Amino acid sequence: MRERRASSALVVGVALVSVGIVIASLTIGTETLSFRQAWVEWRQDLPMHQAPTLSIIVQQRLPRTLAALIAGAGLALAGCVFQAMLRNPLATPYTLGIASAGALGAWVGTIVLKALNISFSFLSFSPIEAFSFLFAGLDMLLIYLLATRHTRMAPSVLLLAGVTLGMLANAGIMLMRYLAHPELLVSMERWLMGGVDVLGYEPVTTLLVGVTPCALVLLAQAAKFDQLGFGAELAAGRGVNVNRLQLVTFGIGSLMTAIIVSKVGPIGFIGLIVPHAVRGIAGSLHRVVMPLSVIVGGAFLCCCDIVARKLLPGETPVGIVTSLIGGPFFLYLLMRRKFTDWEV
Amino acid sequence: MTHCLEGKHLAFAYEPGQDILTDVDIAVRGGEVVGIVGPNGAGKSTLLRVLCGLLRTHSGQVRLDDKVLASFSSIQRARVIAFLPQTVNPVFSLTVFEVICLGRYPHVGALGGLGRHDLEVAERCLREANAEELRDRDFMTLSGGERQRVLLASILAQEPSLLLLDEPTSALDIHHQTEFFALLRRLCRKGYGIGVVTHDLNLAARFCDRLILLSIQRRLLAQGTPIDVLTEDLLSQAYSARIRVGVHPLTNTPLVTADAPEEEP
Repeated sequence: MRERRASSALVVGVALVSVGIVIASLTIGTETLSFRQAWVEWRQDLPMHQAPTLSIIVQQRLPRTLAALIAGAGLALAGCVFQAMLRNPLATPYTLGIASAGALGAWVGTIVLKALNISFSFLSFSPIEAFSFLFAGLDMLLIYLLATRHTRMAPSVLLLAGVTLGMLANAGIMLMRYLAHPELLVSMERWLMGGVDVLGYEPVTTLLVGVTPCALVLLAQAAKFDQLGFGAELAAGRGVNVNRLQLVTFGIGSLMTAIIVSKVGPIGFIGLIVPHAVRGIAGSLHRVVMPLSVIVGGAFLCCCDIVARKLLPGETPVGIVTSLIGGPFFLYLLMRRKFTDWEV
Repeated sequence: MTHCLEGKHLAFAYEPGQDILTDVDIAVRGGEVVGIVGPNGAGKSTLLRVLCGLLRTHSGQVRLDDKVLASFSSIQRARVIAFLPQTVNPVFSLTVFEVICLGRYPHVGALGGLGRHDLEVAERCLREANAEELRDRDFMTLSGGERQRVLLASILAQEPSLLLLDEPTSALDIHHQTEFFALLRRLCRKGYGIGVVTHDLNLAARFCDRLILLSIQRRLLAQGTPIDVLTEDLLSQAYSARIRVGVHPLTNTPLVTADAPEEEP
C-alpha cells in the first residue's frame, strides 16, 4: 500500500513537470511568445493572418508539441516492452530493424517517385511516409516468418533476424546514398536525423489515431511483462500465454514504432534511456514503469525539441539533440546503477 | 478439498520418433510428497511439464479431479497447480515481497492491481516459506537457498493445492537442501500435494511418501514407497550402473550410492 501511494505521487509529480514542459514548448522558440498576447488576439476574434502570436501557437507550436509528446511517448513505451519481451536491456524500438527498414523505405520512395515523377497520398501519409511504413511492415513480416518457423516464437531468433535485417536495410541505404543525386541526398539526410517539425494537425491526428490504440493494448499487458521478467516457464505456469504475449508485443510494438518513424523519422535513444531512467526511480513493476515511460518519453522529446529550436542554431533536427542529451545521460545511469541484474 | 492430478499412459516427444516419455502413469494427491527420480535424460522434467499442462501429452491423458487437464483454462489451472521450474533468472530487480505478489497473477485482473486480500495472502505465504526476514530485500541479492524459499512463497501465493517442483534443491548446500525438503513436508501436512523432481535419492528416500522411478528407456520402471523403489536391482537397471543401497544409520531410510567405474591400473 505504501509503495503504491509513493508511485502514485511519483506519477503525479512527473505529470506536473510534463505539463510545465508542454507550456514551455508552446512559448519558447525562435520567437518567445506570450500567452497573454495570444489571449488578447483570441478575444479580439481576429482572423488568423492578423493574429501572429495566436496563429504561431495554434498552427505551429501546438501541433509540433503534440507530435513530440505522442512520438516520444510511443517510442519510450515501445522500448520498454521490447526490453521486457526480449529480456534484454539493450533492446530499443529499433532493435528489430524497424527504423532502418523505414529509412530504406523512405529512400526507395523518394527515388522511385522522383524517377516516375508521380505523387500520391494515402491516409494522410505522404509518399515517403507511406514507403517508409511499407518497408517497416515488410521487415516485421520477414522477422515474423523467420521467428515462427519453429512452431513457437523464439525471442532469440527474433533478435537475430531483426538485427540482421536492420544491417541489410542499412546496406541498402548506403547503396541509395551512393546512387542518389546530391540534391536528393541533402533532403534525405535531413529526414534520417528525425524531426517533429510538423505543420498543421494532419500528422498529429495520424500519430494519435495510430499510436493510442497500440499503446493501450501494450499497457494492458503490464502484469504479464512482470511475469515474463522471471522467465517464460514460471510465467507459463502461472497462466500467462507467453507465445501470445510475445506475438502481441512484437506486432503491436513494431506497428507503433513504424507509424512513428514514418511520421517523424528515426529519432534515437528515447526508447533506450527513458525506460531505464524510469526503472531507476520507480522500480521495475510494469504497471508503474509503462505509464511513467509514456509520460517521461513524451516530455523528454518535447524538451529536446525546445533545445533543438532555441538553444542550438537554426532548426536543429531533434534526433541529434535526443542522442546528444540521451547518450551522456545513459552513461551516467550506467555509472550510478548496476546493470548486472540483467543476466543476458 | 484435496485435489488429485493423475496422468495415465503419458507419452511425449519433442521430435517425431524420439520419445521422451512412453506409457507413464503417475498420480499426485493432496497430502503426499511424490518424488520423480531417475537418471539424466529419463524425462523427469518433461513429465513434470506434461503434468502441469505446459506440454501436451501425445497419447494418454492428464486428469485433474477426473476432468481432463486440457479442458481447464491456463488461469484456472494455475489456481490449482503451481509449477516451479529448475532455473528462474529474473531480468528485473524486485523486492522479495514484490516477487511473492507476482504469484497472485492467476487471481488478479489483467492489470495486476492487488487488493488487500492479495497482500494478506502474500504476507501469509512469506511466513509459510520461512522468508519473513527477507521481505524487503532485493531478490537479486539473495543466496541460492533464500531464493528457493522466496520462489516457493511466490508459487504458494497462487493458492494452489498441488505444487510441481523441478529440482528445487539442485543448487543448494546440504543444510539448505534438507531444510527445503522439511519445508515441503510441512506443507504436505497442511494438505498440499507435491510432486518433486530430484537427483538426490537419499533426500527423496527420507522425505517422499512415494517415488516414481523413470528409466533411460523413457518408461516408468517402478513406483511405490522409497523402500520398494530404491532397491539395488531397480536402480542398477535405471542408471545402467552398479548402484548400492544400504540403510542410513541415523535416519533409517535407504542410503544409496553408486560404484565408481574401476580405475585403470
